[in-house]
Amino acid sequence: MTGDTPDEPTESATDRERVATDGGEDEVAADGTGIVPPDDETPTWSERKQRSQGLSRLTYEYFERSRREDQDLRQQSSYVERDVLAFPTWPHELVRNLALTSFFIGMILLLSAAVPPHLPGPADSGSTPAVILPDWYLYWSFGLLKLGPLNPDLSLLGGQKLMADRTYGVLANLVVVGAIAVVPFLNKGSARRPVEQPFWAGVGVMGVVFAFTIAVLSVKNLVPMDSHLLFDLTFLAPIVCGIIAYSVLRAMREGYMFDLNRRYYRLRPPK
Amino acid sequence: MSIERKDEHDHDAWMEERDLTALESMYLSVLIWFDKRLRIVDYLELLEDLYYKVNMQMPKSHTEQYNLDNKFWYWYPLYALGSFSTIAYVVAAISGALLGFYYAPAAAAADGTPSVAYESILFIMGDLNLGLFLRSLHRWSAQIMVAAVFLHMLRVYFTGAYKEPRELNWIIGIVLISLTMVFGYSGYLLPWSQLSFWAGQIGVEMSLSIPLIGEYVAQLLFGGFTPSQATLVRMYILHVFLLPFVVTTLIAIHIGIVWMQGIAEPH
Repeated sequence: MTGDTPDEPTESATDRERVATDGGEDEVAADGTGIVPPDDETPTWSERKQRSQGLSRLTYEYFERSRREDQDLRQQSSYVERDVLAFPTWPHELVRNLALTSFFIGMILLLSAAVPPHLPGPADSGSTPAVILPDWYLYWSFGLLKLGPLNPDLSLLGGQKLMADRTYGVLANLVVVGAIAVVPFLNKGSARRPVEQPFWAGVGVMGVVFAFTIAVLSVKNLVPMDSHLLFDLTFLAPIVCGIIAYSVLRAMREGYMFDLNRRYYRLRPPK
Repeated sequence: MSIERKDEHDHDAWMEERDLTALESMYLSVLIWFDKRLRIVDYLELLEDLYYKVNMQMPKSHTEQYNLDNKFWYWYPLYALGSFSTIAYVVAAISGALLGFYYAPAAAAADGTPSVAYESILFIMGDLNLGLFLRSLHRWSAQIMVAAVFLHMLRVYFTGAYKEPRELNWIIGIVLISLTMVFGYSGYLLPWSQLSFWAGQIGVEMSLSIPLIGEYVAQLLFGGFTPSQATLVRMYILHVFLLPFVVTTLIAIHIGIVWMQGIAEPH
């Protein structure tokens, strides 16, 4: 006994051939539909998939591989408890959210009943209002349009600017969005908490503070301050806050990781 | 040997011999009626799957599993921000559809006289029953949606939930947050008030400053180089026709991916 597959391919193939050619006389479908009821020779769906060709065959083989991969990982795992890679959305997360949700809708209704919106006068291109501002959530973008002083003037071009100030502002918006978009491709791994990666937490704090300072810059007269000083602070404050956050988290890290290791990595070792 | 064809699947006879209650037999006959037509049995596996998922035993919560001394519960609202923004979106959609019955994006002059659009907002806020509340609800739910989306992004960033298997959803999220702001901007222009007009002016100048294609973009989005009737109609179509379909689809994809991948709890 070698333990190999015990089927006899030649015999069953001839068998099938015979059944196919003699018209299956023991099971004649008399109703004229020509539909033959499934018998032992009818391939199951998994057999059909195995026999298929080309891309579908490839897909099937890949799925079999990944299923086996999961199986192997599960068997090799030395985790003590069930390995929660993520929290299930249904039903756990949705049930958890329901109570918060009803409260939340109530808050929206209360707010809108208590604080109705204000409607300014009708559009008039003749009179420019004293304050032109978009909605608050666009302040950061509006502030980025006012980065003219940072636009480098190249001595090669005889002190001319490479692009107009307003083009520079629109470009700054694209740069910010692009920088946010590439974050997951730069920062990988299983670390989840800010203390585990003080650098990325510092970058995040810098971004948040910059969003606020650039918004303050766009509202110009909000802070009674010399406008040049305000402009410098817009860029200095985020860097300072980022560095502070980095150093605080860095200092916290050792003690915190000791705790984490004790509780957590014993159960689920990091990659 | 009877002449009649013997029916092996005589469900009525089967039901009679089972001695069912009224409720059971009613349920079964409806089920059989549908199954004869739609062959529900082919989809039984899917249904069973759903059924057993609902009855799945709750796994230990994150706090229990890792013995975090139940110090984690106060983070839960931050994990609900995504659903908050979705709910605010739904509230805004409903109130917006109701507002749409009374709003007309028409006759946008810019000479200080109230346009039809402005008048219709005045009518909604002043004369329409519950109109003030309706507009207030629409505006507040929009504001809250944007705020929730921003905070949601911060939560995802600081808990590292954007990491490796979830990059695609992070990028879809960035597209969604941008579209949310476009949603807000186009809505901001609709009352055709002073602020709307000058916000439109800023938008025109922003698109004009794009190199090479700036003028085409301004023509396409704003219908000219100064905010006018064309701008109002374009923003209206963007706000009530184009963006709702695109954003709803993207939200569905976003949530679908979350569903497939699970919530990334901090590790």
